Amino acid sequence: MLDTPAPYVLLGLVLYFLTYHLYAKRIDKKIWESDPNRPTPAKLYFDGVEYFPVSKYVLFGYQFKSVAALGPIVGPLTGVLFFGWVPALMWVILGNIFIGWAQDYSSMMMSLRNEGRSMGPITYKLLGDRARKILLAYLIFYLIIITAVFEWVIIDVINRVPGTFTAVLFVFLGGIVFGMLIFRMRMDALIATLVALAIVFIGYLLVVYVPALRAPPTNFMDSPEFFNTYGFNPALTYPGTFTLLFWLLVLSVIYYISATTPMPKFLLPTVYVGYLPSIIALVLVLIAAIATPLTGLTIQQTPVRDLFVDPLKNPQGGPIWPILFVTVACGAISGWHSLVSSGLTPKQIEYETDALPVGGGAMMTEGAVALSSVAAIMVLAQPPTGAAAYVQGATLLTTKLLNIPEIYMRILYGIFVVVMGLITSMLFVRVFRLVMAELFEDKPLGNKYISPLVILTIAGFLAFVGSWTNLWIYFGGTNQLLAGLALLIIAIFLTSIKKPSTYVFVPGIFMAITTLAAIAWETYVYGLYALMNKPIGVQAAVAKLYGSEIVSISNLLSAVFGAVLFVLGAVMTYYLITGWLRYRRS
Amino acid sequence: MKFLDKFREIVEGLTVHGQSTAILKVKAQIDNLFILITMGDMLGIPILPPYYSLRLVPYVFPNIQNWKRYMLRERDFTDLVT
Repeated sequence: MLDTPAPYVLLGLVLYFLTYHLYAKRIDKKIWESDPNRPTPAKLYFDGVEYFPVSKYVLFGYQFKSVAALGPIVGPLTGVLFFGWVPALMWVILGNIFIGWAQDYSSMMMSLRNEGRSMGPITYKLLGDRARKILLAYLIFYLIIITAVFEWVIIDVINRVPGTFTAVLFVFLGGIVFGMLIFRMRMDALIATLVALAIVFIGYLLVVYVPALRAPPTNFMDSPEFFNTYGFNPALTYPGTFTLLFWLLVLSVIYYISATTPMPKFLLPTVYVGYLPSIIALVLVLIAAIATPLTGLTIQQTPVRDLFVDPLKNPQGGPIWPILFVTVACGAISGWHSLVSSGLTPKQIEYETDALPVGGGAMMTEGAVALSSVAAIMVLAQPPTGAAAYVQGATLLTTKLLNIPEIYMRILYGIFVVVMGLITSMLFVRVFRLVMAELFEDKPLGNKYISPLVILTIAGFLAFVGSWTNLWIYFGGTNQLLAGLALLIIAIFLTSIKKPSTYVFVPGIFMAITTLAAIAWETYVYGLYALMNKPIGVQAAVAKLYGSEIVSISNLLSAVFGAVLFVLGAVMTYYLITGWLRYRRS
Repeated sequence: MKFLDKFREIVEGLTVHGQSTAILKVKAQIDNLFILITMGDMLGIPILPPYYSLRLVPYVFPNIQNWKRYMLRERDFTDLVT
């Protein structure tokens, strides 16, 4: 029994349950003093559009959908591959218990007590305009990096699990048809949903039953001689290849359409149709992880790997502190959640007491997703790198559970990872476009059709020449630092209303220092390899195809990115700590 | 509330809630633009001659409070996330 993932997943779930009932409820009662009779923004500013009371169950589903994407899936598996399953599992559990839920719930409560305002205006109110501007600059860099990372992860799965893209095209088709049936033909939502799901299901079955549709094959744009000549594995995805360039262009077109067309036409129906089968895949893998004693799958991964990695020998990793805490990313805590938790949800909370089940509950459910991701990798003896490892692990877990041919599950989890990645990354490009429009207004960079090209070009270049693990650490670093900053803003708010703030201030300081250290480490690695004119990991392919100069330029660009992020993060942390001290003294 | 009702509401949140709110926002933006054109002088932006504005007041009246709040609300880049 102990050699299967089940007891560790169950342990995590039990600890989350206890945290919710013993720790979170105490914070809710003693510090925030949530009161069901205190009017919420949904009641005070009722407009029937954004501000209106909604049931906590609906909001829980919405909040979970908004926070759970590729992060809790790819982050924990990367942590397992770097440091072994024990450290990754421990951080997924402890990070969520002490920091993750606290950030999501407290951001929501802070917004509730500030008329439903989001993080930007609250920062402005507490710390002034400069802090808000730094947060804005930080968000722009964050969006570029996260788009580059998600592009790489999606392409890696599309390339290594042939047939996924064909099935995803049916998801798009289902989404477009659903949009037309609802908005043009005014069809009943249930019938339109069934039609859209039938299209998705037909696409899925066609790919499963017709092998010819599992196209294009892996690395189809590159000749086998290329892999033979340089000794590359033809089953993997390499930066700099024509195949990667092809998929980058395809993704860019999808992102461009989703960023420039009205939301109800493409983005919303696609997200809706794509999310329905994803829920099934998500629940299935969690059940399969708990059922491993019955299916006979045992742990194949090393419990603890190297805790320190020499950057000269292996640049794709680093010391367990700080790298583990940023690679696991959204599985334990995520800065993106603070933006979501202070966005639409607090404008629709009916009673203050609903904030804990909605904000904290959704984060702990995401913790369960992260646990299932760890379990999926634990059962693999020789996992591939990247999100393809999740597809392989989840396929193994569920195939054993359902006792069906492997191809059914492989295609399902291929679709799942790609759709989860696309849902959020399409949103990132759109948010970038809107942020640029706010910043530059009538200037060319604010133009609706030009600004998406900016992010697609920079992110595309980083994904084309970069190595994904290093970019992932950058993404984790920026994301977790955003979380640290959000925690410190919450601490300032609590101090300003004379409430204890230790439960957010200490984690906030820990996250800020850890993530700044991680960004500094990765900046050092990128800078070091740029100076040595050497490629990092799979960048060797780019160096062999285009010369080492282009790799050095990209590494230098990444180092500059890292340095800018470090400075912005450090300045913001300084502002927040001095702000907290100022409020504390007064 | 029965378990099935709770489950139905969670699924609603996972799937259609974001979509329906986004559609409401788009509709509200168009409505608010219409009120701005017709009732702009309430905020010091006279666009339509007052005669026509007064003719439209009975139709627009129920939404004026929300429209004013929408127009005068602080806007921020972090609002764009959701």
